[in-house]
Formats: sequence, C-alpha cells, structure tokens
Amino acid sequence: MSKESRMKATINQKLTEMGERERLKELLRAKLTECGWKDQMKAHCKEVIKEKGLEHVTVEDLMVEITPKGRALVPDSVKKELLHRIRAFLAQHAT
Amino acid sequence: PCVDRLLLSDLCDVKMDGLAQDILSDLVEDACLGLCFEVHRAVKQGYFFLDDTDQESMRDFEIVDQPGLDVFGQVYNQWKNKECVCPNCSRSIAASRFAPHLEKCLGMGRNSSRIANRRIVTGNNTNNKSESDQEDNDDVNDNDWSYGAEKKGDVVMLLYFFNLFVVTLNIRLYQMKFTIT
Repeated sequence: MSKESRMKATINQKLTEMGERERLKELLRAKLTECGWKDQMKAHCKEVIKEKGLEHVTVEDLMVEITPKGRALVPDSVKKELLHRIRAFLAQHAT
Repeated sequence: PCVDRLLLSDLCDVKMDGLAQDILSDLVEDACLGLCFEVHRAVKQGYFFLDDTDQESMRDFEIVDQPGLDVFGQVYNQWKNKECVCPNCSRSIAASRFAPHLEKCLGMGRNSSRIANRRIVTGNNTNNKSESDQEDNDDVNDNDWSYGAEKKGDVVMLLYFFNLFVVTLNIRLYQMKFTIT
C-alpha cells in the first residue's frame, strides 16, 4: 500500500471515528435541502419513475439516473463550504 | 534548501486538495443514495405522488377547525360522561371515573393495596355502603396520617425503596473501586 493511500485510509478512519463524517453528512444534507437541490432532484425522480413505471422502479434505477445530475447540480457555495471544513480537518489531523 | 521545502509543501497542498475533493465526492454520493432510498420508499409505500393530488380531493381532506370537533370533523367529547358497566363489580361508573375505579376494583393500581389495607383496619368501624361511594376520592385522603391505624403496606414500600437505595449505593461504590484502581 502506497504511503498516500495509507494516509488516505487513516484520514478516512479518523473522520468516522471522531464523528466528523457524520457531522459533514448532516451539514451537506441540510445545505442541499436549503438551496432547493433536494426538490430539484425529487422532480427529476418523478420523471424517471413515470418513465420506468411505478411498480418496477428499483433503488439502482434511481441511483443510476440521479447521481450524475445530482453531482452536477450541487451549488458551488455548498461545495466551497464543505471543502473548507474538510480542509480544516485535514490540516488538524493529517500528519 | 528553502526552494525545495516550498515545493514540497505545495505538493502536499495539492495532495490535500485532491483528498478533500475525494471526501466531498463520497459525501455527495452518500447524499444522492440517501435521497434514492427516501424516494424509493415513498414510491413503494404509495405516498410519493401524494402532493400532486387534484384540488378537489384536497378540499375533501382539509383540516376542520370548528369548536367541539377534532381535525377530522368528528365529535370528540361525546363519550366523556357516558356510563360504563364495570365487569368486576357490575356497577355503573361514569367514563371519566372508569379507569381509577377499575384500578381499585381489580386491585391493580399503584395505591390499591394501601387502600385495601386501610379499609381492612377501619372497615369494622364504618358502614360498608357509604365507604364504597368514597372509593374514588380516596386519593384525597392520602396525605392524612392517622397515627393510630397501622400502615403495613406503607412500611413495606418504604423498606423496599430503602433496600433499593442501599443496593444501588453498593453498586456505585463497587464501580468506583474499579475506576480508581
């Protein structure tokens, strides 16, 4: 395992163990709801479901349709804020 | 010397940025997955398209706001003073008094044993019929201590709680012993 991937694994572990990952998740969820991302994505879901049929739609279907658009629609301000927090954590805990 | 160190820290920053981006990417994917689960459940449970209901149907289920009615339009204090027949003593009791009566009648409430004991002691001195009518008001007399009558039930309760307290204290002391060593 390269030094880099070892560090990455260590950081990820620290993120989880210190509860920071959970806090970041909550923060992201709140921000995405606030900025209307969730409503936009829900509307997109409706189209997908109407297409695939209510009875047959699976989580995988939704994931495949939602993820690319979801990633693209995250506002820059939200990305900036999250990155700022993540970098702060890395600065403190990555040696 | 200095130049090398600067380049090294820049490289470090780039790597840190990449790592931060990776972490953000994971978080976004997680948010998407969460949404998918939420939507999927709503679809399977049948409430996903609920807010697309037509105006007319929405009006059928509008919240009711009238005195004496609950939000569904049902009358809610209709049965407040209806009479119920106790399955144990076959007396007719008002609905609002029914639960306390049942507690004492079946001997299952918090104070039922205490009151039963008290009644055993004073039962010989009082007329039985007038006593049973005061059944529901017994809790009012709870604060009166008559030093003559023996409150056997109370003493038992007291001993029980005292014992509980002592046991808990012992457990705490025992736990403390472990943390100190």
